[in-house]
Amino acid sequence: MTLVTHEGRAVDVAPGETVLEALLRAGVNAPHSCRAGNCQSCMHRAIDGAPPPQSQSGLTDAQKAMGYFLPCICRPTTPLTILRPDDLGARFEAVVRAIDPLNEDIVRLRVEADGFAYRPGQFIELSAGEDLKRHYSLASHPEEDPFLEMHIRLHQDGRMSRHLAEKLRAGDTLHVAGPSGSCFYEGVHEDQPMLLIGAGTGLAPIYGVLRDALRKGHRGQIRLYHGARSSKGLYLSEELQALSNVRDNVDYRPCAFDPSAPHGGDVAATALEAEQSVSDAAIFLCGGENLVKRLKRELFMRGASLKNIRSDAFTPAR
Amino acid sequence: MSSLYERLGGEAAVNAAVELFYRKVLADGRIAHFFDGVDMESQIAKQKSFLTMAFGGPNNYTGADMRNAHKRLVDKGLNDSHVDAVIENLNYTLRDLGVPETEVKEVANLANSVRDDVLNR
Repeated sequence: MTLVTHEGRAVDVAPGETVLEALLRAGVNAPHSCRAGNCQSCMHRAIDGAPPPQSQSGLTDAQKAMGYFLPCICRPTTPLTILRPDDLGARFEAVVRAIDPLNEDIVRLRVEADGFAYRPGQFIELSAGEDLKRHYSLASHPEEDPFLEMHIRLHQDGRMSRHLAEKLRAGDTLHVAGPSGSCFYEGVHEDQPMLLIGAGTGLAPIYGVLRDALRKGHRGQIRLYHGARSSKGLYLSEELQALSNVRDNVDYRPCAFDPSAPHGGDVAATALEAEQSVSDAAIFLCGGENLVKRLKRELFMRGASLKNIRSDAFTPAR
Repeated sequence: MSSLYERLGGEAAVNAAVELFYRKVLADGRIAHFFDGVDMESQIAKQKSFLTMAFGGPNNYTGADMRNAHKRLVDKGLNDSHVDAVIENLNYTLRDLGVPETEVKEVANLANSVRDDVLNR
């Protein structure tokens, strides 16, 4: 017997039995379809214990690194603690360290959350109360920064925006849960060309990935496109320009909406025009849903492998 | 005589074919619109399932699974001409990969065997 813990409940897996079979036998309503390790409907995440490598067949390097596996082909020999893919696990306390403007409508929030493990570029759920939760990407680096850093656009009528702008002060306590998302450097080959495209605060995860890539000695070419509605929206541009001046393999390409700019400053059009050869590139796409979908499809059609495209699409809060 | 799946090269052959096949499908104006708005990652996993089945590989699909998976599309007008287009793209994909005609036909026959379930009739 091998023990699997699913949402706090212990389930015994009999010898030769799969985790999916054991869950279903125990009455867990686990989603599934092909039962052959192909369709990925049953995917779960192990937060403790290592799933057998065969049970991660067909998953991306990023998914494997995060502990994702397929219960329908998983015959574990050591105990596992597993969660549904959308379950964030435990919440951590996060104390506000600073809230500073990055430009007219984007602020940088730094919080200290002891013991919270993450990879730069992943996103977290930040909660300022039971009914006030939002997802934000992390621009910080766990080995360099003693805080989590988020870039947050302030919306005039947004509840979290107003809370951040009007109420929240250094020393106040929030909660974070996660992390989630596959926008991180791990799994990229150090000689692989990297294509990073972010729009608006989509720069936050891109910036996290870039910092991690450089820290880990990435040697391949890195091209970073940042799009904004106007040149005032191009925050962190001095840092990125300076970085691209001193690093031979980093190229920073800001794109702001401006009728005189090539392609009208559209970051997607600009990047697609310049990036004709993408089949070997590790690609990171972060921004609004339409932009991410459009870029993912276009880049896939011109030869990029979906395994090499990592993305986070921001959806507006309801 | 080894099985069709083994002759094609097993899971490695499915992995080699799946993105080529999906690109052809998305570039085919006759059927591309059925994939508007779908999540590409989960779709590629489904395409992999389909290819594994068509290659004669391990799968546990039932007719009911096929019916449920395509019901929404049948309601949107999925018909024989679209199934033909999918099988055509599958044939082109296999030929691009250098698969001999005998095996191409076997794969097409397997894909064709689920036509009635896919079309919910």
